[in-house]
Amino acid sequence: MSAGSLAAILQPRRRTRREVLRDWIRSRRPANSWPALVGLAGFAAMLGLQQLIEPGTQRLVTAVFLFVALAQAWNLIGGYTGYASFGQVAFFGLGAYTVAVLMNNYHISFWLAMPVAIVAGVLFAVLIGVPLLRLRGHYFAIATLGAAEGLREIVNNATPITGGGLGITIPTFGDQVPTPYFGKPGFYLAFLILAAASVAACALVARSRFGYAMVAVHEDEEAAGAVGINTTLVKVVAFALSGAIVACAGAFYAFQQIEFYPTDVFDASFTVLMVIMVMIGGSGSIAGPLVGAVGLELLSQFLRVNLGTYNQLIFGAIIVLVVVFFPQGVVNYFREAVRTRRFSILDNVRRYRL
Amino acid sequence: MIAPQAESATPILEVRNLSKRFGGLWALRDVSFSVAEGQILGVIGPNGAGKSTLVNLITGLSRPTSGQVLIDGRDVTGLRPWAIAHDHVARTFQIVKPFRGLTVRENVAIGAMHGNERDQSVSDSLATADELLVLVGIAQHANDAPNQLSVADARRLELAKALATRPRLLLIDEVMAGLRYAEIEAAVQLIHRLRDSGITIVAIEHVMKAIVSVSDRILVLHHGSIIASGAPQDVLSDQRVIEAYLGNRYAKRRST
Amino acid sequence: MAQFLQAAAYGVVQGGLLALVAVGFSLVWGVMNVVNFSHGALAVTGAYLAWFLNVHVGLDPFLAIPIVAVAMFAFGYVIQRGLINLVINAPIFLTLLLTFGLSLVILNGLQLVFKSDDRTIDTSYASQSFALGAVNVPYGRLAACVLAIVITVGLALVMNRTRLGHAIGATGMDRGAARLMGIRARHIYAVTFGIAAALAGIAGTMIATVGSFNPTTTPGQLTLDAFVISVLGGLGNMYGALVGGLVFGIAESIGGLLLTGTWVNAIAMAVLIATLIIRPTGLIGKAQYSGRVEV
Repeated sequence: MSAGSLAAILQPRRRTRREVLRDWIRSRRPANSWPALVGLAGFAAMLGLQQLIEPGTQRLVTAVFLFVALAQAWNLIGGYTGYASFGQVAFFGLGAYTVAVLMNNYHISFWLAMPVAIVAGVLFAVLIGVPLLRLRGHYFAIATLGAAEGLREIVNNATPITGGGLGITIPTFGDQVPTPYFGKPGFYLAFLILAAASVAACALVARSRFGYAMVAVHEDEEAAGAVGINTTLVKVVAFALSGAIVACAGAFYAFQQIEFYPTDVFDASFTVLMVIMVMIGGSGSIAGPLVGAVGLELLSQFLRVNLGTYNQLIFGAIIVLVVVFFPQGVVNYFREAVRTRRFSILDNVRRYRL
Repeated sequence: MIAPQAESATPILEVRNLSKRFGGLWALRDVSFSVAEGQILGVIGPNGAGKSTLVNLITGLSRPTSGQVLIDGRDVTGLRPWAIAHDHVARTFQIVKPFRGLTVRENVAIGAMHGNERDQSVSDSLATADELLVLVGIAQHANDAPNQLSVADARRLELAKALATRPRLLLIDEVMAGLRYAEIEAAVQLIHRLRDSGITIVAIEHVMKAIVSVSDRILVLHHGSIIASGAPQDVLSDQRVIEAYLGNRYAKRRST
Repeated sequence: MAQFLQAAAYGVVQGGLLALVAVGFSLVWGVMNVVNFSHGALAVTGAYLAWFLNVHVGLDPFLAIPIVAVAMFAFGYVIQRGLINLVINAPIFLTLLLTFGLSLVILNGLQLVFKSDDRTIDTSYASQSFALGAVNVPYGRLAACVLAIVITVGLALVMNRTRLGHAIGATGMDRGAARLMGIRARHIYAVTFGIAAALAGIAGTMIATVGSFNPTTTPGQLTLDAFVISVLGGLGNMYGALVGGLVFGIAESIGGLLLTGTWVNAIAMAVLIATLIIRPTGLIGKAQYSGRVEV
C-alpha cells in the first residue's frame, strides 16, 4: 500500500445529487429491484381483492392493513434502532383525538385534521423522546408505557375539550358534516394506502444512510458516536418517524370508528400487538413485521370467528409456541435456514436456551 | 494529500491541564502536551496510568473534571463524540467495537457515510469501504461477520472504520497487544504510511519495540501524570520511567 | 387531619400488601432480567386456589398460605425450567412476549373455569378493625401487611445468609462465572422464578382476603403496580421493594384524598418517568445488580 493511494481514497468524492441519482437509476436490475416489484404487485392484488369481497370482509382486511402500518412503525424505533417502546399507542390515541377534536369541535375537514395529527405525533415524539431516549432496555420500555398511560389520563380528564370519560363523536350526519364518511370500501382503500405508504417509507429509510445509522446506534452507541453519528438525533428522528406513522393510523382509525372512549384508542393491547407482530415476524427487516402483522391479525380473526370463548387462550398458546420455536422471528428463521440449509426446528430451540 | 493546516504553528492537538476524577480517584491529573501536525506521538505507561482515559477525554466520550482540549486551536472540551469526529478526529477502541450485525464491508462503510466529507450515497460508501479494506489487508473478509475475524484482522477492521471517517488526527489505543511478531511489523509499516499521507497519529501502546520504532516523541504517563516526555531513546533511559515500570530496586541497580 | 392520618394508615397497610406483590417481580427482573408479564396472573391463580380451598374445604386463607405457596412454587419452577429458560439467550423482549402469551393462557383458562365474576374470601375477622387513636386499622389488611414484612425480611435473609441465596445472587451478577463455579444456572433460575411465583400466590391470597379479584382487571393492575414499585425500589432489592411498596401505598392513598378523578394515576406515571430519568437505580433503594442499570 502506498501513501499516495491512501490519500487518494480519503479524498472526498465530490458528487452532485444528480450524479448520485443517475448512478442509482443505472444500477437498477431485476436482482435488486424485486422488492419494489413485489410491493407493487401486492398493492395491485389488494386493490383487486377489494372487488371480490363483501364490505363486511373488507372491514376485516382493513384491520390487517392497519396493523401492517403499525408494525412497520414500531419496527423503526424498536427493531432497527433497538429502543423498544411500549408506549407507541400514545401516538395512536393522540392522532385519533386530534382528528376527533378538530372535526367535532371546530368542524375542520378530515383532510386538514389528519396532517395536524401527524404533526402532533412528531411534536409529542420530540417532547418525550429527548428525555426518555437516554434510558435503555426495559427502563425505556416502562418509561414509554408510563408516558402513554399519562397521556391517556390527561385526555380522560380534559373533559371540556375531549369529552373525557364520556367519549367523543365525529359528526357524520347532516349538512354541517366536515367530511363525508368514507364507508367500508372507502376505508379499505384509505388503510391500504396507509399500509403501502408505511412499508415504502420504512423500506426507503432502512436502505438509506440514516437506516445504517439506526442499526449502528442499536449495535453499539459508543462506536456509532465515534464515527460521527449524532446518536441523539438519530434516536429522536426514528422515534418521531414512528410516532408520525402511528398518529396517522390513529387519525384514520378515529374517523372510521366515529365514536370512541379514551380507553379504546389508548388501549395498551395495541402496543402489545405491535410488539408481538414485529418480534414474531422478525425485527430489523421490512418483511418480518409485514409477515407478522398479516399472519397474526388473520390468525386472531380466524380464532375469534371460529373458536369463540377459547380464542384468547389458543392465541396465547400459539404466541408461546412461536416464541419458543422461532425466537429470532419467523422470517429471520427462514432466511437463515435457506442460507445455511439447516431446517431443524429443534436445533433452533437449542441455540437460544440456557 | 490531505490538505494540512496553512499555519503550521498551531498544533493540531493541544491538551491543557486536563484532569479527570472518578469518585476519590484521579485518573488524570493536570496533563498538558501538544502535538504538531504530521507527528506521531506515542503514549506509554504502566497499566492504570490513565492512557485510555486520555483518549476518551480527547474524543468526547467522557467529560474532563477540569482542563481543556484544543483541536487546531479551537476549544472542543466537552463536545459530544460525533462533533469531535466531525472535526477530523478518529479513534480506535482498545477492545474492538465492531457493529456485529453488519458485514465487515458495511462496518467500514458506516464511517464513510457519517464521517467528514461524507459520501452521498450508500453505494459510494461501500465503494470507499472496499478500497480501504484492500488497503488494510482484509478485503477477503468483506462479506464476513466481524466476529469471524482473527485478532489481527479485527484490529485492521477497527482501523479501517476509523480511517473511513477521513480524519486528520487519529488516536489508536493499544493496537499491537496480542499480535505476533510479523503482525507487529506490518502494523508499524501501516502506521508510517498513514503518517506519510498526512494523518497525525497519537498511539497508546504497551509494546515497547513497536512504540520506539513508530514514534517521533513519547509521553510517559504514570498514575495520571506525565513523568517524562521527549525522544524515544531519551525517555526509555530516564530514571523515573524505569522506576515506574520496574520498581525502585531495579532502577537503583541500573544506575550503579 | 384525622382523614389524613386515616389515609396514611390505610396507605401503610395497603403498601405492605403491594410490596408483597412487587418483591417477587423485582427478584426475577433483577436476577434474570426477565420482566414477568404474567406476574399478576400468577397472583390471581394463587387467589383462586385459596378461594377454592376456602369454599370447598373450609380452609382459612391464612392457613391455606403454605399450600398455595408450595403449589405456586412448583408451577413457577416448571414454567421457568420448561419454557422461559428456552429463550433466555434470545433478544430480551422475547421473554416479555413469552410471559405475555402465558398470561393469556392462564387467565383465559381461569376465566373458563371460574367465570369472570368478582370473588372474595370472606372471613369473620378481616373486615373488622380496631381503633388506634383516631385511626381505624382493619385487621385483615394489617395481618397482610405484617405477613408481607415478615416474608420480605425472611427472603432478604435467605438471599444474604444462605448458600441458595448466594447462588442466586451470583448467578444474577454473572451467569457465566457462576456456572464455572459449579452453580447449576438452569436450576437456580427455576428456583428463583418458583420463589417469585410462590410470593405472587401468597400476595394473591391476601388480596382475596381483604378485597375482591377477577381474572380480567386485577392481574394487569397488579403487574403494573409491581413494575412501578420495582423501579422505585431498585431491581432485585428486597428491602427496596418493601419501602417502595409502602411509599407507593401511602402516596396512592393520600393522593386519592387530595386529587379528584384519575389525576392520581397521571401523577404516578409522571413520578415514575421522573425517577427513571433522574435516578434509574431506584428512588429509595440501590439496584442490587447496578452493573445492569443499562440493559
